[in-house]
Amino acid sequence: MNRSVFWALVRKDLYLRRAMIIAILVVGLGSLVLASFGGRAFAVGGLLFLTANVAGGLFMAALSLFGERRALARGFALSLPVSGRYYDLSKLVSGFLAFGIPWLVLTVAAVGGMFLPGGMPGMAVYALLIQLFVIAQFAVVLAAYSCITSEAVSGVVILFVNVALSLFMMQINQPEILGPWRGDAIVWTPFARVTLLAELAVIAVAVAFTYIMASRRRDYI
Amino acid sequence: MSSAGTNAFVLEGVRRSFTHFALQDITLTLPLGQIMGLVGPNGAGKSTTIRLLMGLLHPDAGRIEMLGHSIPAEAAAAKEEVAFVSDDMRLFGTATLQWHMDWMASMFARWDARFAQELLSRFNLRAGQAVERMSQGEHVKALLLLALARRPRLLVLDEPTSGLDPVARHELLTELMQVVREEDRSILFSSHHTADVERICDQIAFIDRGRLVAASDRESFLERWRRLLVDLPPGSAPPRIAHTVDLSLGGRVASLTTDRYDGELHARIEAAGARVLEVQRMTLEEIFVAIVMKSRQEGMA
Repeated sequence: MNRSVFWALVRKDLYLRRAMIIAILVVGLGSLVLASFGGRAFAVGGLLFLTANVAGGLFMAALSLFGERRALARGFALSLPVSGRYYDLSKLVSGFLAFGIPWLVLTVAAVGGMFLPGGMPGMAVYALLIQLFVIAQFAVVLAAYSCITSEAVSGVVILFVNVALSLFMMQINQPEILGPWRGDAIVWTPFARVTLLAELAVIAVAVAFTYIMASRRRDYI
Repeated sequence: MSSAGTNAFVLEGVRRSFTHFALQDITLTLPLGQIMGLVGPNGAGKSTTIRLLMGLLHPDAGRIEMLGHSIPAEAAAAKEEVAFVSDDMRLFGTATLQWHMDWMASMFARWDARFAQELLSRFNLRAGQAVERMSQGEHVKALLLLALARRPRLLVLDEPTSGLDPVARHELLTELMQVVREEDRSILFSSHHTADVERICDQIAFIDRGRLVAASDRESFLERWRRLLVDLPPGSAPPRIAHTVDLSLGGRVASLTTDRYDGELHARIEAAGARVLEVQRMTLEEIFVAIVMKSRQEGMA
């Protein structure tokens, strides 16, 4: 593998996605500031924060894979000294970096914010589980987009992950699940532990799936 | 046997099938330093052949070698020295040409920044212009600039002039010819514009419906192919001459197309009782049409 070409492809994606990275950061951090005012502002800020994360991830995956394919720029990238397999892997790495960087900043801000004066440290688990769900959702979408070419099927994928998010939010906001976290102590309830493991497993499977699909692909037209 | 050092590429018995199309037994060799035109109608298999060569498609059978590298296994290594430009290829729209040039320079040790600047002014392009604001002609020139400044040993151009108006096409080919004349570079140039191919290529391969129907050097095609207008004696049938590709009758005058023209042909025709009225040279387009029609007739027989 020509490492310089591989990293050049990753750098290129980060450069082309820079506006989206900044937008996710600005909206995400802004919504956290809004949420810090409490009351109704907390609800609006929280919703905006989740939207910035979820929509940002979906847009990032779509722009990175479908955007390049639709704009016919993939042919140019594949004319460079890189195999199709490493091209696909560069997409996986750049996708995770382009979304992972703002996601990490927002996760640190959201989780860290719980420890600020007036915050509720116990809710750090809640924030972390939601943020891990968001990155797991992103990993699934990226994996799906890396092997499907039909935009109709990609719509089904979006529908699926959004339904999954709604169900997850319904579940995690149940009073009996939320209750133990409403305090100063960090409590890893059985629900939290199982959810954490499931989220990490989904991320691992999605990444492995993308890698295997990239290794098996033979044609790039 | 490896052809490294003598051939830019070798395709041997290459096949690839799709649901509605099959590329069959393509055997083609381009010696180093030569320019080959791959000519065929739309959908003939030119782009499929080129994608197989570039390692973007896997063949079902056959052997492909490019600059001594086995394709598709070593396609990435081969592409270090091969630049590829296709009509359905686009640069990254929101970035400028200057960004693309800097990006390419970061990847290729052989990137020639001075040559890139020279091409920039020769092609009348603006480095600071975002690619998405370029016209189709400018976009093709930008792709060519990025390909040429890499100083590749083999340049693969898949219908680069498609979609350009005649003036832009002429301009682009003139620039391209000027650039390649200065360099010892192998080029594979696919097009359905035979005039473009005739202008720049040493070797020509005709492809139709997934089959290679003829391949030779340009001079052989142009020297061997003739259309003869023959005056037939009243009531006589046209003479049966070997290597007649097409024969059409218009009253007493027969139009006979041959792919083996030589001085003895006159004598053979006149020995058969006919008289040669005129010998016409054929353009590459006429030769191409005659080859394709003959191939299709043979396919139906």
